Amino acid sequence: METPLVEVKNLKKYFPKKKGLLGGNKSYVKAVDDVSFTIRKGETLGLVGESGCGKSTTGRMLMKLLDPTEGQILFEGQDITGLSDNQIRTIRKEFQMVFQDPYASLNPRMKVGEIIEEPLIVHGYPKEKRQERVLHLLEVVGLSAYHADRYPHEFSGGQRQRVGIARALAVNPKLIIADEPVSALDVSIQSQILNLLKDLQEEFELTYLFIAHDLSVVEHISDRVGVMYLGKIVELTDKETLYKEPLHPYTKALLSAVPIPNPRLKRERILLKGDIPSPSNPPSGCTFHTRCPFATEECSKKVPKLKEIAKGHFVSCHLY
Amino acid sequence: MAEKLLEIKNLQTHFKSDRGVVKAVDDVTITVNKGETVGVVGESGCGKSVTSLSVMRLLKDTPGKIVGGTIEFEGKDLAHLSEKEMRLIRGNDIAMIFQEPMTSLNPVYKIGRQIEEAVMLHLKYDKKQAREHAIKMLKLVGIPRAEEIVDEFPYQLSGGMRQRVMIAMAMACNPKLLIADEPTTALDVTIQAQILDLMRNLSKERGTSIMMITHDLGVVAEMCDRVVVMYAGKVVEEADVFTIFENPKHPYTEGLLNSVPKLGQKIKRLESIPGNVPTPGNMPQGCKFAPRCGKVMDICTKQDPELKMIDKDHTCRCWLYQESGVLEV
Ligand SMILES: Nc1ncnc2c1ncn2[C@@H]1O[C@H](COP(=O)(O)OP(=O)(O)O)[C@@H](O)[C@H]1O
Ligand SMILES: Nc1ncnc2c1ncn2[C@@H]1O[C@H](COP(=O)(O)OP(=O)(O)O)[C@@H](O)[C@H]1O
Ligand code: SF4
Ligand SMILES: [Mg+2]
Ligand SMILES: [Mg+2]
Repeated sequence: METPLVEVKNLKKYFPKKKGLLGGNKSYVKAVDDVSFTIRKGETLGLVGESGCGKSTTGRMLMKLLDPTEGQILFEGQDITGLSDNQIRTIRKEFQMVFQDPYASLNPRMKVGEIIEEPLIVHGYPKEKRQERVLHLLEVVGLSAYHADRYPHEFSGGQRQRVGIARALAVNPKLIIADEPVSALDVSIQSQILNLLKDLQEEFELTYLFIAHDLSVVEHISDRVGVMYLGKIVELTDKETLYKEPLHPYTKALLSAVPIPNPRLKRERILLKGDIPSPSNPPSGCTFHTRCPFATEECSKKVPKLKEIAKGHFVSCHLY
Repeated sequence: MAEKLLEIKNLQTHFKSDRGVVKAVDDVTITVNKGETVGVVGESGCGKSVTSLSVMRLLKDTPGKIVGGTIEFEGKDLAHLSEKEMRLIRGNDIAMIFQEPMTSLNPVYKIGRQIEEAVMLHLKYDKKQAREHAIKMLKLVGIPRAEEIVDEFPYQLSGGMRQRVMIAMAMACNPKLLIADEPTTALDVTIQAQILDLMRNLSKERGTSIMMITHDLGVVAEMCDRVVVMYAGKVVEEADVFTIFENPKHPYTEGLLNSVPKLGQKIKRLESIPGNVPTPGNMPQGCKFAPRCGKVMDICTKQDPELKMIDKDHTCRCWLYQESGVLEV
């Protein structure tokens, strides 16, 4: 088998919690708790789940913006978790990120042309070719040379996201981590950006980790999808299987909860009880057992392992 | 025969500023019948919230003003009522819920007190009755431990629970009309499913009409009997929910429906509407959708089409379905 572009093994991120007035034992927010997956060259892996389940934290660890508490990240077979800043520099250019809020991620005092040029400077792109590259990138994302001299506030949300994408593409990365890249956009603009991301993937042979809470969006853009709940991946498989034969009770509930724009469709809905528990005090055993309609005694006691129950179909649930 | 409850006719609400007039709502016509749920959809900035704030007459603290049209509710024109008269209707006959519950919840009051005040004012309950009613309402919206929660503060609750409290408060006086402005937009999908379920059951049991403002076409398909589509301050199409989804006529409605990815639908590319929503300072001449429309004709860029009845209970604002008038120059 071909070496995957990225391999994540038993990744954990525990944030220390501020101690209460009483001090006491040190406690942690288990933002990411034993997550493993691979990203194959050229594919889009979607990560989906409700807010606070650890999607962004996972993405930030891949970007080396956060150090894992435990676990390994392999890039093209090489463990990059322990590398020094110096060693990481050449690899870092292969990872770029696109954020949800393009406005917050673009420096308001810089012209759009300068924003796109910045990573070129950082990574030592030849000076005489930089201007040309910036103009080319603007075109690639559907903007024009005219936009280079404008400031971010003069752009609409969709255009700002295009700028964010142009900047991410600047140094020819292999992997783009897109964290909720269309969540803040109106639907008509959202589809423009989704189409753009697909076109760019084909043109530049990009690999995506696409993070979002919107299942319909994730299903549309991804080849495979991982479903997260309270810091863990509960199910991971190709998108057709995930949609047609979801196995994990949480995946089933999540899929059934998504309102579908078809008024004739009357579906059985699995209504989950209660709220998502806090990751600082996750339930014992299977962390979903407090809301799961199928939970048995075993579920509250034993942590289920992520098992491959059919080729490429991973589920973490005692039912299987 | 459907009985009208609310009839907004040709509503115009404008905002004056140093930089000119923003025509946030500029010719909006919406009818809500008794017992019906009407969806109002459109992208951000198209005037959905300003429309609902106009109905509730909650524009006092803004530079916004109703400058045209009528808002008929049970024989009264809300657009022209005094603040005193409006206070008897607000929270009583018409209640509103928001995307952010803290818009209507007071952080320094206990939850019970917020519900009690409304029912003491409108239903003339005494303190004890009001408290009992508050607990009953909290139970009705599925708040566990209602007897304890009634003495807690909003910040002690999760987002989904706060949303329920706001609904309890809104439904406390048994309003005839509930205006819900993006009530589930900030919620996770499993929590959204709970809240939509609750709203559907409450409105069915009590015959409450709902004006459901949202940008989510899935929510519309699931909740609404009729749908009003807005673009740049105007209603561009209105029909029953099946017609809107299966036989949309306005190019914008069509484009919007084709833009959303649908679960389980295998398509490589989404259709998308080119360009951006026009900003208030840059409103195009003629049809506001013309610069993005694939079917644009000469007349579209010159003259604004009217909202016309194109079929039984189906209106549309587009030159494709109306005789071009004489061009006034
Ligand atoms: N820097 C941080 N310090 C402490 N807790 C954090 C930090 N970043 C994230 N968390 C917590 O970790 C959990 C997962 O967060 P996040 O990865 O942002 O979730 P998602 O992106 O899925 O919404 C949340 O409970 C969040 O509050
Ligand atoms: N307080 C205000 N002052 C000035 N303009 C406003 C104000 N509130 C809303 N607007 C303008 O009115 C238009 C419609 O806004 P809104 O009704 O909030 O849109 P929607 O709810 O459909 O997203 C926008 O262009 C907005 O800028
Ligand atoms: S009036 Fe013209 S521009 Fe406007 S939607 Fe109809 S065809 Fe398109
Ligand atoms: Mg996130
Ligand atoms: Mg709004």
